[in-house]
Amino acid sequence: MHMFYIGDHCSTWTFKYDFTFLNEQLSDFALSVSKTLSTTLHTGESQNETIEVLNPIKLELECTWTGDQDKLPNITVYWMKDENEIENSLFHVLMCIRKCIFISQFLSLVVVSPQIGDVREKPIVSYVGDYVVMTCKMEESKPKPSSWNWYKKNGTDEEQIFPAEEPRYKIKNEDEKTKLVVHNLTEADSGLYYCGAVYAIATTKSPVKLKVITYWEPLKPFLAILAEVIVLVAIILLCEKSQSKKDGATGNQRTYRYSYQEGNSSVRQRKV
Amino acid sequence: MPPAAATNLGYTPPDGGWGWAVVFGAFISIGYASAFPKSLAVYFKEIQEYFSVSYSEIAWVPSVMLACMYGGGPVSSILVNRYGSRPVVLLGGLMVGAAMVLASYGTSIIQLYVYVGLIGGFGLAFNLQPALTIIGTYFQVRRPLANGLAMTGSPVILLILAPLNQFLFDSFGWRGSFLILGSIGLNCCVAGALMRPKAEAVDTTEQSASLQTEKGKSQSRSQSCVHRFIDLSLFTHRGFLIYLIGNVVMYFGIFAPVVFLTPYAKHQGIDEYSAALLLSIYSLADIFVRPATGFIGNSKWIRPRIQYFFSFAILYSGVCHLLCPLASGYVGLVVYAVFSGLAFGMVSALLFEVLMDLVGAHRFSSAVGLVTIMECGPVLLGPPISGALVDISGEYNYMYYACGLFMLVPGIFLFIMHYYNYKKLDEEQRQSVAVEMKTSEETVKLQIGPDDKTAHEADR
Repeated sequence: MHMFYIGDHCSTWTFKYDFTFLNEQLSDFALSVSKTLSTTLHTGESQNETIEVLNPIKLELECTWTGDQDKLPNITVYWMKDENEIENSLFHVLMCIRKCIFISQFLSLVVVSPQIGDVREKPIVSYVGDYVVMTCKMEESKPKPSSWNWYKKNGTDEEQIFPAEEPRYKIKNEDEKTKLVVHNLTEADSGLYYCGAVYAIATTKSPVKLKVITYWEPLKPFLAILAEVIVLVAIILLCEKSQSKKDGATGNQRTYRYSYQEGNSSVRQRKV
Repeated sequence: MPPAAATNLGYTPPDGGWGWAVVFGAFISIGYASAFPKSLAVYFKEIQEYFSVSYSEIAWVPSVMLACMYGGGPVSSILVNRYGSRPVVLLGGLMVGAAMVLASYGTSIIQLYVYVGLIGGFGLAFNLQPALTIIGTYFQVRRPLANGLAMTGSPVILLILAPLNQFLFDSFGWRGSFLILGSIGLNCCVAGALMRPKAEAVDTTEQSASLQTEKGKSQSRSQSCVHRFIDLSLFTHRGFLIYLIGNVVMYFGIFAPVVFLTPYAKHQGIDEYSAALLLSIYSLADIFVRPATGFIGNSKWIRPRIQYFFSFAILYSGVCHLLCPLASGYVGLVVYAVFSGLAFGMVSALLFEVLMDLVGAHRFSSAVGLVTIMECGPVLLGPPISGALVDISGEYNYMYYACGLFMLVPGIFLFIMHYYNYKKLDEEQRQSVAVEMKTSEETVKLQIGPDDKTAHEADR
């Protein structure tokens, strides 16, 4: 069978994404916006699109022939998934459970659950014996997850954290954000944590790094700077003392006064 | 011609020598006091999450700090009047250090208000005031330059503190950073150690000494009690009142434009990094112009009429802000950042020099204390009022117009009032010179009188 790739005979493509729920039980989490994304692909171009969805969606791919209406070609369009042709997949009906990647000559679609944009690159630093609050927030404009989970990376695995089992951990969930509070930190608590925003389609995970250090770490620079201050102040004051001794020895008539110098000037002249 | 409010110091300030070390100490103290409250913002988000408080609750920390720094002015003045600058700055440095160390062990947001806000704020007040005061005791001829150089500490230290705080936060979290900031704050003690109390050089002849002690006696009795604490007679001083009124109004509009520069740029669609670059451009213009302004203010054409220079700087700032809404695109905003950075630097460099020029070096300590406590209100209210204007109108234009007016009107006011003040001062100067000549004539006559014979004999 001869394969025609999408776009061979079309000069414009209109992609319609219709978020219709195939499972009525999930209608609680309905996202009732129907998005139409129009994009113009010219022959030979490739494009990446990322769509964030909550639930399985119906994806429609529509091709509009803008060339000569008389010369309408006979087009066969196939969806392919991972290099396999999907049977009976002409034009529509797509069921995605988790993540689907469609690679065509022209379009690569990545369909995922809503992503957390605001990721903190640098680790949160806290101290042994102290507590730490790690937060994750889903953007206002995106749909709110049904719940939040927290995971800790152990080797290559991600273990979910259950506060019921370990009272050291507390999870506070609000609709659009979550907080993991870890009490009585130890250095072993350092590492990578994930917050998971649970959606029907998938759980979005976002990493949060934690670094636990002892109080000795900041104490080192503190003591160093403290020493520097003491040394400098001592040098300055000693220099001044030795200079005043020299002045006294050479019979200089200057008198040093350390009280209300900048105050009662009118009284000054009297104190010769 | 020196300014009409003479130093009345009773000695000739060195205008150099150890004075430059004092300027460096003042640079550190003034710089730290001005820059520290602004640089703490990087910690707020994490502290907010740690203590589970709202943004407005955490914003109280720098507000309390600013309030105490400005409100603590009179306390600082009283201490400086009694003990001189050095002990007060040493105390201030210790307070700032201790405040941050205590805060690093804090277990509630209230503790942060007390440690960082109250103790830290007063510690900063004990740095700012005395540093400004001591410059007046070491410099007279080159004082505008010295003041300009010392005031440059503010943007320079901010330029150092801002990335330093980011680095500390990334490495140590907020607790460790506060601990280290405590030790950094102790460097104000080093600045204080440099502020050697000025030695008096008594260089008067007997004749003039007796003349001066005559005046001194009568003045001292009435003023010494007050000078020990704070000189409230300043409220009858014409120049002081002009300065006070002009400055209090001006302070409503002085800080908001730079606070809102980055959000305004982003609102216009400019990306985050370019918007941050605007602030850097502003700071560089500020750093450059402060010593330059000091130098210009020192020149023989400007110095006698330096109040006009200050009024001009305020007027120019007002015009800058009024024109800001006309700036289109990124290039327009860069131009605005340069010009308003220059404007802010000019005003800052002259801010305290003109007060010294008006009231004289020995009353300056009390004067600056009284001025800062009056400025407390506008400093705290200015940015929130501007913010409210932005929120209500949805545009930044009205905020810039308002700030522009808050500076334009005082600028014009100061120009007019100082024209009148200079005229009055010239009159008073002429009168007092006439009186002095008469008095010295009489004294000479008296002295020569009984010794007439001796003088005649000596002349032979």
